[in-house]
Amino acid sequence: MAMTDQAADAALAPAAPAHEHEAIEPAGERASWLQVSPLVLVLLLFFGLPMVVVFVVSFFDFERTSIVPAFILDNYIDLFRSEVTLRLYASSLKFAAIVWLVTLVLGFNIAYFLVFHVDSLLVKIGLFLLCTVPFLTSNIIRMISWIPFLGRNGIFNQALMGAGITSQPLEFLLFSDFAVVVAYVHLFTLFMVVPIFNSMARIDPSLLEAARDAGAGRFRVVYEIVLPLSRTGIALGSIFVVTLVMGDSFIVRTMSGGQSASVVSALQNEVAALQYPPAAASAVIMVVIVTLMVAGILRLVDVRKELAR
Amino acid sequence: MAEAKGGGEVAIVGVTKRFGPTVAVESLDLVVPHGSYCCLLGPSGCGKTTILRMIAGHETPTSGDIRIGGTSVLGLPQVQRGTAMMFQSYALFPHRSVLDNVAFALKMRGAGTAERHAKARELLAKVQLDKFADRLPAQLSGGQQQRVALARALITNPRVLLLDEPLSALDEYLRLRMRGELRRVQKELGITFIHVTHTQLEAIAVADTVVVMAQGHIEQAASARDIYVAPRNAYVARFIGGQNVLGGAVESVLDGTAAVTADNGSRFAFQVGDGRPPRGARLYGSIRRDRIAIEKLLPGAKPPSGLNTVVGEVHTIENQGSYVKVTLDLAGETEEFVANVADDKFFANALEIGDRVVARWSASDVKLLDAGPLAHDPAAAGAAMAGGR
Repeated sequence: MAMTDQAADAALAPAAPAHEHEAIEPAGERASWLQVSPLVLVLLLFFGLPMVVVFVVSFFDFERTSIVPAFILDNYIDLFRSEVTLRLYASSLKFAAIVWLVTLVLGFNIAYFLVFHVDSLLVKIGLFLLCTVPFLTSNIIRMISWIPFLGRNGIFNQALMGAGITSQPLEFLLFSDFAVVVAYVHLFTLFMVVPIFNSMARIDPSLLEAARDAGAGRFRVVYEIVLPLSRTGIALGSIFVVTLVMGDSFIVRTMSGGQSASVVSALQNEVAALQYPPAAASAVIMVVIVTLMVAGILRLVDVRKELAR
Repeated sequence: MAEAKGGGEVAIVGVTKRFGPTVAVESLDLVVPHGSYCCLLGPSGCGKTTILRMIAGHETPTSGDIRIGGTSVLGLPQVQRGTAMMFQSYALFPHRSVLDNVAFALKMRGAGTAERHAKARELLAKVQLDKFADRLPAQLSGGQQQRVALARALITNPRVLLLDEPLSALDEYLRLRMRGELRRVQKELGITFIHVTHTQLEAIAVADTVVVMAQGHIEQAASARDIYVAPRNAYVARFIGGQNVLGGAVESVLDGTAAVTADNGSRFAFQVGDGRPPRGARLYGSIRRDRIAIEKLLPGAKPPSGLNTVVGEVHTIENQGSYVKVTLDLAGETEEFVANVADDKFFANALEIGDRVVARWSASDVKLLDAGPLAHDPAAAGAAMAGGR
């Protein structure tokens, strides 16, 4: 209760006369720290601390079933020496790139449609809910339901053959990289749609009219006005999609029928074999790489500045 | 860009615009001569912005034709219309510098960077903003943004400039300055300006022709002066302000003067000229607020009766500097009755709220009004404009 009172004081502070302003300012800052403190606590305890533990363990030695406290670099050296690591990263990055591109194109277009072509708010909300349908079932059921659709004798193959487009079933539809990408796109497009929708919804429609008035065609308006003003959303959506793909092991394993693996699935194998230190080392490398990717995106788009707009 | 300097005449011919079941504009006719400054004036929802957007090509009329310089522009893209629009919120591109904002239309027309930037700088210099060319719009004040919007609209040398409530986002001081500026620019360029506003004084201050609109049709199109001193009907008189509207039933007509009795028993004299309104017909007249003399009624004095005299109680007093606006409550009358009293006269014998006063005016100052809304009459609009300039 005391905290909310202070927060209320802080909220009133800017309205105070100028000469009292200086005296109240530090109190206001303290109040805002208090406001974020629960989140800071949770993050420190359940995110910061485990990260530190993982980092420390990554330098430990291990025997068949136990970890031995030590400071060795073997885990990292093994990781970088292994050709498998490189292959796994190459495969994960490939998936991330393809899925990013596809979800970006889809997400941008869906968001554009929702913002500029759907007038009724009710319809907008309805269509949005439609986008969340993939999340209404569990991961496993969703994956299983791809089989009768994409399988050798699945609906899609039968439809293609029935329409005379193909003469025999397409083999690459299920248990392939194609299937992995389809499942990723199916799930992650929403994470692109929502932030892009958010930035687009803040574009004043009269800007588009002003551009048309100046002689811009339909695509020119999108390229010159909508795209640059949706940058924040695109950046945030890209962060979501890239980190989700990089962090996945389940979809890639199920949809590829075990033929493809990701960095995380290799890590899982190590954990299952109780080889914690090498698992910790690859986790640290993974965090560094994903952080670098996110930092790269944030370098291109100043999300903070644009959100404050 | 090579559009002839002439040919900025905008003709709206029998245009109707429906949005679903609502009629925004109904078979409207209007001719705005080349090189004139026309204000579309009306309350929100009267269709004035719809007309502007149809001229610009952002809306398509349901029926009717729009001609610019004598040729129909229906279906033509904005570029080929030779129009440019200035938006209410300016609609400056927030992610582009002031220079790129101004140069945008030239970029769309395929001009090279050097060429379009040179032209944009030239225009920015004209609006005294060349120093700010590299800033973003958000770093400018409201008045500066407005001038950027003006420069951006003018860069294609349009023959018609369409302004949608261009001054409504500015504070009072800038609004007064900018409206003078707009008028000056229009005179300098000699192109047609069509300016939408809901502010009466703004329209009267800038325009050659003021078009007063209500619910999708024109109530009166006339010179700014005529619209103020000779409103055509009660709607225009009330909307423009500065007038009291009087109404009543004809009692008798003698020598071109009709005696009229209002519902509350007040009696007025209207000059009807050669007209012979039948007994009992309703007539409306307007009397300018500054042509009314008021005088305090001493307690116990018998209220005077007679033509062009009303008795009321002072409801509000607002000092407007050079005059004092006195609002009266008339017994049995709902219409506002206002007298603008010159300041020296008022303060010589100041009134208090609640005082009973008698208001008088001369019959020759009363303008007879048309009873209902006007029939559609495009010729009248054109003629009024010709007379106005």
